[in-house]
Amino acid sequence: MPDPLADQIEKQVLTWSAVALPNEAAGAMAAQLASVIEGFEALRGTLVFEDEPSSFEAALQATKE
Amino acid sequence: MQRTATAKPLHLSLVEAAEAIRKGELTSVALTEASIAAFKTKDAPVNSLISLDAEAALEAAEGLDRLRNAGRLLGPLHGVPLAHKDMYYRAGKTCTAGSKIRANFVPTYTSTAVARLEAAGAVTVASLNMAEFAQNPTGHNAHFGDCHNPWGLDYCPGGSSSGSGAAVAARFTYGALGSDTGGSIRLPAAMCGVSGIKPTQTRVSRYGAMPLSFSADNVGPLARTARDCARLLGAIAGHDPSDPTSAREPVPDYEKALDGKIKGLRVGVPTTYFFDDADSEIVAAIHNAAAVLREAGAEVVDVALPHMAAVSTYGSIVSRSEAGAIHGQWMRERAGDYAVHLSARIYGGLAIPAAYYVEALSRRGPILKAFAAEVFSKVDVFIAPGLRKAVPTLRETDIDRSGPSAIDAFNAVSSNTRPINYLGLPSISVPCGFDRNGLPIGLMIQGRPFAEARVLKVADAYQRLTDWHDRTPPTVA
Repeated sequence: MPDPLADQIEKQVLTWSAVALPNEAAGAMAAQLASVIEGFEALRGTLVFEDEPSSFEAALQATKE
Repeated sequence: MQRTATAKPLHLSLVEAAEAIRKGELTSVALTEASIAAFKTKDAPVNSLISLDAEAALEAAEGLDRLRNAGRLLGPLHGVPLAHKDMYYRAGKTCTAGSKIRANFVPTYTSTAVARLEAAGAVTVASLNMAEFAQNPTGHNAHFGDCHNPWGLDYCPGGSSSGSGAAVAARFTYGALGSDTGGSIRLPAAMCGVSGIKPTQTRVSRYGAMPLSFSADNVGPLARTARDCARLLGAIAGHDPSDPTSAREPVPDYEKALDGKIKGLRVGVPTTYFFDDADSEIVAAIHNAAAVLREAGAEVVDVALPHMAAVSTYGSIVSRSEAGAIHGQWMRERAGDYAVHLSARIYGGLAIPAAYYVEALSRRGPILKAFAAEVFSKVDVFIAPGLRKAVPTLRETDIDRSGPSAIDAFNAVSSNTRPINYLGLPSISVPCGFDRNGLPIGLMIQGRPFAEARVLKVADAYQRLTDWHDRTPPTVA
């Protein structure tokens, strides 16, 4: 059965990047981005950092011994 | 274990080999010839090699022996033959990145990491097999042939620095550069039973190293022991004007820190994430390693690691998004020249919305700060398994031949290494046992940013009390 997310991604990548679906595995991996979307949804509103924005390089220096 | 310069010089550690050259017990030519012969006569079943540079290596070795005989040593690697993942540029030498697309690419300049190793006296003997464009954790390569694990030829050697792990394990070379964007040094180290360190993000220059991810790529060494890694890292670490992203942090004497003394040092065992659904034999091996560290005087405590859901989610998209950008043009023009699993992986990266990518990057600093404040106030280092499961076979993770059914096994390989790249922490993998199939188990040790000396110290202390790193694969005569 066609995966709606995979279909959506196929159109999106073709439209925005002019890259066609190269193989079956690409479609399957694209469909697995559903778990990334779920991960982002789960994080919404859960992280509050007082010092945002902050550069990563500055954080490396700030957290060294 | 201290070995002497015997009839099997390639069984010495890198530091022992360097010492033997310094004392005049062995020559660079003898060791370089031994390494070349090993690659020529023993590599076929392992397939760790992409190209040998025998003539230039022997010429360099002869020059280094003349210098040594004149009483001059270039540095702590004087005369030691090394081989590197085939993604480090050397002026005038073909650098394939394990790919068909760059099979004939000849760079006009030399990477800073290789240049610094050679300035310290190392001889570059060979370029090693790797995952195509450094993008799989297993060791498959559709263009140069899969690399095989010397401990069991049907099994993954780990990737993407597959040839680096396999060649060091098989005693073809004393050490090798790898690169680590999601585990590509630590996974082959763990699966091949050698030591490999991913330094703090920005610790080592990436100039002249094939890019995969601007934010998460790291240059680092694999070798037999933590002490070997300390010597190699000491040679390559430090700011490089050619790589403005490299840190200006001073480089300590990493070997000086290796005194075996870890009394009172606090070692954390995570209660979250890293042992989720892990094989019992893996859990037991890590707890046994913790017991060894406790016997050596360390204080071993449980530690809950915060924000792991965010680290895992955000970390999963950064390198994929960046790889999509780096490979976009080739995906439009030459998608058929990639292996199936690689074009599939890059394709997904093109689908990730920019807002997700920017969110993941913008949260990286704050999450590191929160993580470090919580964790490193309680422990000095934390340990974890490199893989949660026994080393998989090449077949069961082969997306190109088996299709999408192999994707889950393929992705699972890097679940414990990838989060550390998002956090940017220094992380070493050292061998700590064997799984039910006789394949190595890797112990990962992580510390604060720029705490490579401490991470190496703990690893070295562990290796003083164990002999896993001295075991040789059955394929090694």
